[in-house]
Amino acid sequence: MKERQFPRARLDCLSREFGDEVLVYDLQRDIGHCLNSTAAATWKLCDGNSCPPQIARTLSRQLSARVDESVVLLALDQLADAHLLVEPEVPVGRPSRRVAIRRIGAAVAIVLPLVTSIVAPTAAQTVSCFPGLHLCATNAQCCSHLCVVNRCV
Amino acid sequence: MKKLDRLDWAERLTLSAFGVRAGVRVNVSGVLPHVLPLLPPGWKKSPRVIVQRLYSLVVAQGCERAGMRRLHVLYANTMPVARDAALDQVLAALETDLHRYTAEAASDMTFLHAGVVGWQGRAIVFPGRSLSGKTTLVREMLRLGATYYSDEFAVVDSSGLVHPFARPLGIREDSSYPQTKYTAERLGAASGVKPLPLGMAVICKYEAGARWQPALLSQGQGALELLANSVAVRSQPHQTLRRLQKLVRHSVFVQGTRGEAQEAAAAILNLSCARERLETV
Repeated sequence: MKERQFPRARLDCLSREFGDEVLVYDLQRDIGHCLNSTAAATWKLCDGNSCPPQIARTLSRQLSARVDESVVLLALDQLADAHLLVEPEVPVGRPSRRVAIRRIGAAVAIVLPLVTSIVAPTAAQTVSCFPGLHLCATNAQCCSHLCVVNRCV
Repeated sequence: MKKLDRLDWAERLTLSAFGVRAGVRVNVSGVLPHVLPLLPPGWKKSPRVIVQRLYSLVVAQGCERAGMRRLHVLYANTMPVARDAALDQVLAALETDLHRYTAEAASDMTFLHAGVVGWQGRAIVFPGRSLSGKTTLVREMLRLGATYYSDEFAVVDSSGLVHPFARPLGIREDSSYPQTKYTAERLGAASGVKPLPLGMAVICKYEAGARWQPALLSQGQGALELLANSVAVRSQPHQTLRRLQKLVRHSVFVQGTRGEAQEAAAAILNLSCARERLETV
């Protein structure tokens, strides 16, 4: 129940800072995430002891700008979607993204939180190989490693 | 492996490239010289006997009988990789597999699937999957005076510098198969030797008739794009992230849809020059 009100960042991910953004690599799912400045700052404050209003206050101090709780909720929503928070046993009832953005309104002094994700490629996907149905002569030329009747499967 | 080991091997070679050791053995004399140009750029003969991956090329010998095709077979360790009546197809499979394995197994370097050119002391990389037009763009850059680094891999060391992987460019004429190989020199360009810091990464896709109007990407977003083209990110995530962080320190990322390569290549080089001028000021 604690995770419901006091979000906690997963500690079993790799993370590296790129300016004020953070690149997080989920070792369990092999997914890379880019957290923009607001999402990254929120994620770092998810220590399992702070509730969203407290996180909003700390963020306001850190960014020297008023950060509404809705912004934090929006960030938490995206972080939870990306599985970057310890998952609560009971689903958290947060407002939908559309509602949260409406509440935030147009007059925000900070960048809206954004988490961008990609599935890490397998080695075979990252070298030049032919996609399905492309002409081929050998298995090694196809991304699928299967060349059947001169077409990649 | 024992069955393969029992065959009579006429020629053998142990090589080392980017810290990866591999072996090639062939059952017929005179084939190994055809293998040498296909090895990873910068390979060296290795005195060691133990290798990480051993290629066994069984070249079909003797006359064909009616109703029976004689096939050449390539094994990587014990796994059959290619089987074909045309030896050049089997050799092409050897090249693909060996380059792929080198990129995946190298622990001293991080391989990104990208085209790379050198321009005014910095590297410009074009990460992208197969058939995304990397080679076309690289070729056009070379025509405009850039130095060739690779049309397949950006090789990043622990300091974040980009090393050449200057294999001959595999150009698909009119997107038809197969590729034709051209050295940079044959295209009138020079091949880079010195490792370079990354100046710019260009994330683009081809769309017929599109105008090149790139948008700037943040460093984090750009690094994520590079991560999406990292060969060994699943097996070496720590090193990959660490090297990406060093790689992108002083670089610019742009993203957009390009039309013909000539227009995009010229615009990218102009952008790179403008950036250099701004830095000097």
